[in-house]
Amino acid sequence: MKAKHIKWGAIFALLPIAFLFYGMIVFGGQKYEGSTQNCFTDGILINGLAAFGKLERPEVLFLHDKHTDALEKKNKDCLTCHVKDKNNNLSIKFKRIENVSKDEVMDIYHLNCINCHNEMSASGDKSGPVTCGECHRDKVEESLCRAPIEIDKSLHGRHSKAYENKCETCHHEYNPETKKLFYEKGKESSCRYCHKDKTEENRMSMSMAAHTQCVNCHKKNIEEQKTAGPIKCSGCHDAKKQQLISKLDTIPRLERKQPDAALIKNNSPELATRMNFVPFDHKAHEEYNDTCRVCHHESLNECTKCHTLLGIKEGSNVSLESSMHTKKEKSSCIGCHEAKQKDKQCIGCHTFDSSRKKSSEDYCAKCHMSVPAQGTFTEEKDMSNFLLISRKLTTDSYNAEEIPEKVVMKDLVDKYEQAEMPHRKIVEYFEKSINSNKLSGYFHKDKNTVCNGCHHNSTSSVKPTRCGNCHGKPLAESENLDKPVLMTAYHGLCIGCHKEMELGKATGCADCHKERKKWWNNSVNR
Amino acid sequence: MSRRKFLGLAGAAGASALIGSSAHSASNKHFEGYPNSFGVLHDITLCVGCRSCEAACNRVNELPQPDVSFSDVSVLEQKRRTSSDAFTVVNKHANLKNSKVPIFNKIQCNHCLEPACASVCFVKAFKKTEQGPVLYDPSVCVGCRYCMVACPFDIPTYEYDKAFTPRVRKCTLCYPRIIEGLLPGCVESCPTGALKFGKRDDLIKIARDRISKKPEKYIEHIYGEHEMGGTSWLYLSGVPFKQLGMREDLGIKPAPEYTAGALSGVPIVVGLWPVLLTGIYAMTKRKEKVADLEKKECVKEAIEKEKADANAKLAKAMEKAETDKKTAIDKAVKKALEEASKAKVEG
Amino acid sequence: MSSETIESRKTYLNAFNICAGMIVLIGLFVTFLRFTGGLAKVTNLSNYNPWGIWIGFDLLAGVALAAGGYVTSAAVYIFGMKKYHSAVRPAVLTGFLGYSLVVIALSYDVGRPWRLPYPFIIQQGTTSLLFEVAACVALYLTVLFLEFSPAALEWLGLKKARSLAVKLTMVLTIFGVILSTLHQSSLGALFLIVPSKLHPLWYSPYLPIFFFVSSIIAGLSMVIFESSLSHKHFAYKMDETHLKEKDDITLGFGKAASLVLAGYFTIKVIGVSVANNWSLIATPYGLWFLVEMLGFVALPCFLYAIGVREKKVTLIRWTALWTVIGIVVNRLNISLVAFNWHLPSSERYFPHWMEIVISVFLLTVGIIAFRFIVTKMPILYEHPEYKDEH
Repeated sequence: MKAKHIKWGAIFALLPIAFLFYGMIVFGGQKYEGSTQNCFTDGILINGLAAFGKLERPEVLFLHDKHTDALEKKNKDCLTCHVKDKNNNLSIKFKRIENVSKDEVMDIYHLNCINCHNEMSASGDKSGPVTCGECHRDKVEESLCRAPIEIDKSLHGRHSKAYENKCETCHHEYNPETKKLFYEKGKESSCRYCHKDKTEENRMSMSMAAHTQCVNCHKKNIEEQKTAGPIKCSGCHDAKKQQLISKLDTIPRLERKQPDAALIKNNSPELATRMNFVPFDHKAHEEYNDTCRVCHHESLNECTKCHTLLGIKEGSNVSLESSMHTKKEKSSCIGCHEAKQKDKQCIGCHTFDSSRKKSSEDYCAKCHMSVPAQGTFTEEKDMSNFLLISRKLTTDSYNAEEIPEKVVMKDLVDKYEQAEMPHRKIVEYFEKSINSNKLSGYFHKDKNTVCNGCHHNSTSSVKPTRCGNCHGKPLAESENLDKPVLMTAYHGLCIGCHKEMELGKATGCADCHKERKKWWNNSVNR
Repeated sequence: MSRRKFLGLAGAAGASALIGSSAHSASNKHFEGYPNSFGVLHDITLCVGCRSCEAACNRVNELPQPDVSFSDVSVLEQKRRTSSDAFTVVNKHANLKNSKVPIFNKIQCNHCLEPACASVCFVKAFKKTEQGPVLYDPSVCVGCRYCMVACPFDIPTYEYDKAFTPRVRKCTLCYPRIIEGLLPGCVESCPTGALKFGKRDDLIKIARDRISKKPEKYIEHIYGEHEMGGTSWLYLSGVPFKQLGMREDLGIKPAPEYTAGALSGVPIVVGLWPVLLTGIYAMTKRKEKVADLEKKECVKEAIEKEKADANAKLAKAMEKAETDKKTAIDKAVKKALEEASKAKVEG
Repeated sequence: MSSETIESRKTYLNAFNICAGMIVLIGLFVTFLRFTGGLAKVTNLSNYNPWGIWIGFDLLAGVALAAGGYVTSAAVYIFGMKKYHSAVRPAVLTGFLGYSLVVIALSYDVGRPWRLPYPFIIQQGTTSLLFEVAACVALYLTVLFLEFSPAALEWLGLKKARSLAVKLTMVLTIFGVILSTLHQSSLGALFLIVPSKLHPLWYSPYLPIFFFVSSIIAGLSMVIFESSLSHKHFAYKMDETHLKEKDDITLGFGKAASLVLAGYFTIKVIGVSVANNWSLIATPYGLWFLVEMLGFVALPCFLYAIGVREKKVTLIRWTALWTVIGIVVNRLNISLVAFNWHLPSSERYFPHWMEIVISVFLLTVGIIAFRFIVTKMPILYEHPEYKDEH
């Protein structure tokens, strides 16, 4: 009898166990996307063996600052891990200057890492992993959040000031015959023009060049007890710490004998006369951008050197026309100008595509300005200057009394009361922001341009067409299938603009009009 | 079960499996939806989360009044789904591109071109109408809720709290209104034009047009154009739909295609199984018969052999008896002769 | 059997009766709640989780475990394994009771159970696999009833009707196998429509085949398990043939179960390989999948093989129980654990205690009915009047 009890007990005990598993599976160990993982600015992916072919094991995530800090506490310095090369610079590689052989590189890492970790734990300190799987983990690259850093004009200015305009401290040229670096005045350009993403033969990668140069220099300054830049990863690569890098109040111009004003023209003498040249305010554009590379993306040459009329190999077959007009390319004129339309104060109008009318002749002539009679100017830059000065950089405007102060929209009063719009205030706001900027001032010259932001397709006059003239009732047949009905047109315009400009106001119904209590309560189905 | 029989069974099962799967992939019918059917285009970038659509839906479908008024947008802070009291709900999602401008997305029945709910209903309570809406008929519904299991969008809901008249509840695309020439409640009430009602084909054109006009505003994907074979409700978005809790891994296969293979296996089993089983039965019977026969023959043979043996023994015995007899006679004759000659000598 | 044992069983106030009585009382109370207050009153079902344990355990596992009927009758009548003849009646009875309980459980689960005949008499949703399941279960229940009827008719002494029913045996067996093949596999095919909701390790286009093959395993194991229980509790009812054949049945069915389990393991592995889902093994769900595959498929396959080889009847019996639990685990995995796996845990389903009460209640009713029939009708012995009449 007892044995039987035990057996039945076992049977009934097993079912709850199965349910328990069920619970564990369903309610435990759930993992969701978007869960915030720890992310490291000082993470380096150790993949030294990648130079010798495909990696057998996953790359190792190495936290550099963590190690630096740990060594500092033990009064150890960089030389614990890095060796000095013949120029007395620290090699950024771990315990070696060159990659000799696969086995040797592997041994360097395995022996040194594991030994040090063992020693640390033997002395009772917090230590790192010593088994394979703890270091070689999958998908570690996901936990990196290193912010790239760029030497912008301010940072460059601070460095040139500190080094008394001795450009040769950093800038150099390379002589392939003697295989030596040398400096040539007036040839300085961006590091990236030569140092690419990967090390090729005896040309260091950008990352290696930057770290060897910057960190070693900063380190020497620290040793000489001078003001010095960061030597830890986070000093440069943490997005928050980047904000702390001080900016110069007045940023000096980068001098490379560039013109103040240039004339952009094609280099084909035969076609030269057929298209008006474009005067270009080079000096002003230097101020708008952080680096030269924004426009001069491959070298500090004239655009026309690589972008010819039909395009050549050196310019990736991009013609001069495309290089200036391609919208999606930020280094093109129109690409950059259109990107400015995304600025908060511009996007309100520019989010509606109907407000753009640019096929007109007038539109091209904004840049391709008509040239005064030939021979008036002997120098290109004089002509360019003349044209630039001749431009009018502010918008025209109606007189204040001509602009209605308030507009009341009462066509659709039903569920809500009528809405009142501070019309003049809005117009004045836009005029002010247009005139605050040379680019917008120049392109919104006409006094109706600002009106057309909302009154699109309407004739230019003090009394534009009413919205309801075009925007009909729901289900009405229309040639343009996507034409919004009146309610949509109103809301789309107001809310769309407020949303895009992030004005905050006018996002809930009651922000613009009151609810009609009566309607809601007496409605048929209520 | 002998090894041979087991293999036979397993083989038979395997064969039907193969036939089933090939019939499944061989289906070449592709339903592209009823021509001129209606749909709604939901442009998520335009939705401002005002809940007007929810209010209109509630009013049009005469649903119970909720505890929280529709003008209170604080409910958007919580993730909601359709329920038997709300055929549509708007959810708020964080905008990873710009945290200041949240994204709002409305959910309701998508009115699939080939609905999973209609395909799995064993009383045909669901119907895809030519106008576009997928309609439910509570008068035949048994309440198995397989439609809810099957719906890839988790839309149908059930009145679990009703003991006698529980119904499946879901959006009807305002079928009674659209056949009267009115707009669906939600579309009519949408202030920003985030919802656009029209013929599905036109809506796809409009959606394509919007994407091509503003490639920076939209991602290049019309959700619902192909999802689960296409839905009458279409969506445009500025961020990947996945970030809005919409599943992008549903594939473009219409739901009924997933079960077509299994259904085509039915006639195969019904047709082949009796033949196969009767065959196996006959074989077993025959084997038993043959075994029986062999056994009988064996017995017969044994008996015969026994008989022959016995005969031989008998013959041998007879022969021996004969010889014995002869010897005895000879002996007797000899003895008599001897005696006679002895007598002769003596006498 | 000595008359003393029979005497001692006449006391009604034994532990079993008290327990069963309590369960039945609570069960009836919950039944009342269910049919007056609706599903919300007694279940945790939600709009995300329309199917709970009444489908996962009572229907899916219940139908699989009632597969002993068709497996045994096919083995004996179609494959001519006469030496297992004494297992047929108990197996058919278990099957008949099992399916009856499935139908009763369904009446609890569906919203309007009085409409259950609607798919046959009002509108036929032939594109639905559930229609196929419903049709087959309804027909098979009739088949099982007819297959079982000789025992009842012998008990009632209706000779003519009994001989008519016996004549139908062959046809009914073949019909039963067809219907079982169809609905056992269709129960798996029910989930073919939810590739987006069922975890990829459990979802497979081969689900119907998995369900059919595993139902054979369930049937074989259930016969072994049930026969060992019957032997323990109703040995006094068994005749000599039963007692003699008992170990043969255990060994023979154990061998078959081991072979089918091996085949099942192989096709499951093929299923995962075809979908190339191996990478998912290293997730929590993957571990649980491994538990199912190794603990409830590979392990019993191995134990059955050892039991048969070493002729260890006790080991085979315990393995049968383990396998039965394994089938339940598999059906629960597909319908509940791996279903809706992408939802956050707050939106997942866990049964309400009253749902479990109903399942236990129905199980108890089944055991009581089995006990009643076995003690009254010629199930575990041959009726003396019909001996030598196969």
